[in-house]
Amino acid sequence: MKLTEKWHDELWARDMWWSGKTTRRKFLGLSAAAAGAVGATMLVPAPWREAFGQAKPYKVGVLQPLTGAAAAGGKTALVGTQLATNRINKAGGINGRPIELVVADYESKPDVGRRKAEKLVVEDKVDVGEGGYLSNVCLACMPVFEEHKTVYMIGVCLDTTITTSKCNRYTFRPFDYAPSQAMAISPYLVKNLGKKWHIVFLDYAWGQSTRDAYIEQIKKNGGEIQGTTGIPLGTADMTAFISKITGSFDGLFAIMFGANAVTFTNQAYDLGLFKKAKYAGDGAVAESTHLAALGNKIEGFVGVNRYIPVLTKPLDTPYHKKFFDESKVLLKQMDPAGPDPDRYVQSNFEAMNFLKLGIQKSGFRGREDSMKLIEALEGMEVKESDDFPQGDKLLRREDHQAFLRQFIFDIKNVRHRLLDVVSRDKVVVPPACSFPKA
Amino acid sequence: MIPFDQILVQIVNGLVNGMILALVASGLTLIFGIMDIVNFAHGDLFMLGAYLGTTSFLVTGNFWVSLLTAVLSMAVLGLVFQAAALRPLLGRDPLTTILATFGISLVIQNYALWQYGPVPRRLPEPVTGHFQLFYVEYPWYRLVIALMSAAIIGGLYLFMKYGKHGIWIRATTQDRVMAEAMGIPVPWVHTVVFAIGAAMAAAAGVLFGPTVGINHAMGFDFTLRAFVVVVVGGMGNLGGSILASIFISLLESLATIWVSPAQAVIVSFVALILTLLVRPTGIFAPTPK
Repeated sequence: MKLTEKWHDELWARDMWWSGKTTRRKFLGLSAAAAGAVGATMLVPAPWREAFGQAKPYKVGVLQPLTGAAAAGGKTALVGTQLATNRINKAGGINGRPIELVVADYESKPDVGRRKAEKLVVEDKVDVGEGGYLSNVCLACMPVFEEHKTVYMIGVCLDTTITTSKCNRYTFRPFDYAPSQAMAISPYLVKNLGKKWHIVFLDYAWGQSTRDAYIEQIKKNGGEIQGTTGIPLGTADMTAFISKITGSFDGLFAIMFGANAVTFTNQAYDLGLFKKAKYAGDGAVAESTHLAALGNKIEGFVGVNRYIPVLTKPLDTPYHKKFFDESKVLLKQMDPAGPDPDRYVQSNFEAMNFLKLGIQKSGFRGREDSMKLIEALEGMEVKESDDFPQGDKLLRREDHQAFLRQFIFDIKNVRHRLLDVVSRDKVVVPPACSFPKA
Repeated sequence: MIPFDQILVQIVNGLVNGMILALVASGLTLIFGIMDIVNFAHGDLFMLGAYLGTTSFLVTGNFWVSLLTAVLSMAVLGLVFQAAALRPLLGRDPLTTILATFGISLVIQNYALWQYGPVPRRLPEPVTGHFQLFYVEYPWYRLVIALMSAAIIGGLYLFMKYGKHGIWIRATTQDRVMAEAMGIPVPWVHTVVFAIGAAMAAAAGVLFGPTVGINHAMGFDFTLRAFVVVVVGGMGNLGGSILASIFISLLESLATIWVSPAQAVIVSFVALILTLLVRPTGIFAPTPK
């Protein structure tokens, strides 16, 4: 066959080109080609889609412990991130771009966490990081995000040093920390429950820094610390530790979370410790997700928390009701018992909404605009709303630490009961961070 | 001067903890003794047994029925695991069986996470109430756990000593080839021993369950301690493992009088290292003739 410059004049190509006359064959052929082209764009890889101008999603790298000792908290925390993402994407995304979550399970191990954080920023090329649950993992991952100039919006980690001695410009904590919580509940503890306290804490980064904060505040309010007991994370049988808690004290203050809290409460109750002293602690001891596992052994516990699942005043707002109902639907998918949302759902939900506002305000396009995003987030003040059902917040410029109201509660009939609300201005701690120069 | 009451409280603690550990370790040592398999999934069988106990409790509402159901179910599961994953590896390099049990461990953990969710579960104790033990109120249930563990281990001992199939197991432990030559179905003995080990782990899981929040990671702590006592007691030596469990738990408990319980764990590792250096066959194993 001779090649010709006008190859469409060839016999075999005659029906493919417009010749001024629409035949049924041409119509069907062109329709099939158009449908094929539309279908093909849906199948092409993301970089090609971007080249063709479709909205490129914001990639958010989410670090959570979905297996291992802290899986319960990690899975609950992820519900908060997913809930906020669903809402944002349903409303058309941020600046017209949807959010794509890249979820990494760090198996409750700091070394795995650091490796996964590196994978997120180097291989997955995420625009921002979010999440974290165990403080030692957050502390291990913070330098990775800093090195790659990526904003890291922490979702749960409460270790004090994250926004004090180990702070960095790329890390934000959009919820409370132990010094604020201690400030909120210590006057109540000393005034209503007793002066002499024994503190039991989980012996790792968060437990140790939280213990120090409570020692300082209980003493400041006229109380005394009779002793402290550290229990390693994941100890199955705590009786050896509990049976060593002796002496005279009015209250036992526990700094525990998840299955560790359940084990401690069970065994301390069994050894009659709560008959001798009042039982109080960090709100994580009595999160709604494991109240059922604690049963009547947690009755009378007094705690402080940034979030409790009650719908009485001042938490009877439409924002909270909507958050509560939507969270329950997702939580039911995770656990058929359908637990109420807890502070891990709340803080990850609000962390994503802080990112949303920051991205909107700064016009952030990707990691090259990280500094613009940081500047937009620094000093950001938000009001109680659909995006922030917990209440008003300030994300302080100096240390990237948020300040918010605190709830003092007790457990009655295996439910949370609100006792007092401590306003935001009463829990402000002076900044103790100086960012290294960029 | 150490107060007498502290020593007695720690002795009771050590004995009770030792009996729970003995129940876990005896299953582990039985499996090693007969099959030469270091079962890394043993802690997960303990955990799955506890979860099965909660499921059964939801249906029956009776703790003892739940214990029995969990034990029987885990025995059947043990049969399946052994027949499907370990029997084909008989006679291969020990590393392959270690990897296989490690794989089983991951499968069980992730199954538990998927099936039961990440939230800790509760199993109510069948016996409530306390008695005053010097400065602590000691729960009766802890004594029940110790007694039940002793009864189960005692039952196993009698079965091994006098039962026809127990004699088959002992014969297979002593000389596998000769046992087979004498007509003992060795592959089946292996399968049944794994099932017995799994059932004992489940019994320990259900008995220990009410004192903790049952979760998918609860077996890890016990696996580590059980391995220590199995080495100290003599790998594959049932009596030695039971004595080593009590010995190690008592050592740890008494050490807590002077140091923090977190540091007291070091005592058991010192015992492990000394055993490996001085008497690798195990402190409580009979001297080879």
